[in-house]
Amino acid sequence: MIGTAKMGFVVGLLAAGIAAGPAMAQDSMKQDSMKQDDMKHDNMKHDEMMHEESAKRLFTGKFSGKVHKTEGRATVYQQADGKLLLRLTGFKTSNGPDVHVVLLAIKDRSENADSLKSNTERVELGKLKGNEGDQNYEIPAGTDLSKFTTVSIYCERFNANFGAAPLEKF
Amino acid sequence: MKNANGKSLSAKTKLTLAAAAIPVLLGGWWAFRPEKLFINQQVSEPAPASASREAQPSYTGKLESREHPTSGRATIYKESSRKQYLRLTDFATSNGPDVHVVLLKAEEPAMLKNIVPGNLEYVELGSLKGNQGDQNYDLPAGADVEKYQAVAIYCERFHAIFGVARLEKF
Repeated sequence: MIGTAKMGFVVGLLAAGIAAGPAMAQDSMKQDSMKQDDMKHDNMKHDEMMHEESAKRLFTGKFSGKVHKTEGRATVYQQADGKLLLRLTGFKTSNGPDVHVVLLAIKDRSENADSLKSNTERVELGKLKGNEGDQNYEIPAGTDLSKFTTVSIYCERFNANFGAAPLEKF
Repeated sequence: MKNANGKSLSAKTKLTLAAAAIPVLLGGWWAFRPEKLFINQQVSEPAPASASREAQPSYTGKLESREHPTSGRATIYKESSRKQYLRLTDFATSNGPDVHVVLLKAEEPAMLKNIVPGNLEYVELGSLKGNQGDQNYDLPAGADVEKYQAVAIYCERFHAIFGVARLEKF
């Protein structure tokens, strides 16, 4: 009895997930276009603003997929208040369980394998917000970007490196 | 008797197995979340606010040496639908006579060579302003960056390519 109930629960969850997926995607797309509109207005208004107070791009790199096909660009911004921000654009990877965005201290490319060595130092930036689309992650204050030079889409549960982007000076 | 006993046992075993399979299935589902293979999670966060008010980079690439040691980054910025410019940063090449900044087609075979054997098809951006330092070059109106996706530092007099950068979407 309990078994059937559990199975029913799982099936129900799956069904709900499948039903909700597209609906949620549509919603976020609507919001996107609204945001973009806002940005356009902003553009027009602030065309003549001084450039000094804007966010600066410090590093950039392209993703390549290993375990899963991963594409897009990772860019580190320094905002006007000095805070560092990682932005993913044109981004696409496969969805998965427990996927995180991390910075890795990788010295040579051979270390950037499908799975991470246990002693690879990393800085956690947060759970992957979405497997598609533009997204921002705050980089903790004091992170040494001359040391942590690779962005990785990392599945903690299976120690799998979905894809990585080596950062180079912009 | 024996037969009946055996039958009832196997039915019990079946039940136990089925009961045992449920947590295993649940565990497997939790770990792999297979439904995520079909459900995308789309996000679209805006760029850091202040950065979206100025010209946006549309293409970027790193310069590589050909005939002379050349380094730095080449980035095409889009100011408006009509105005684009190329910006060289951290740039260094060797000084020379009659050196120009040009756009080449991405598939241009001469890009791999130091000296161009015949005529080179390019979009002229201007004489090199300096062999070191950050510098901007306006793109002619209607320059098709989709087609001309490479930058070359080109000495017209000796048909020498000092360095090239393949541009990739930012």
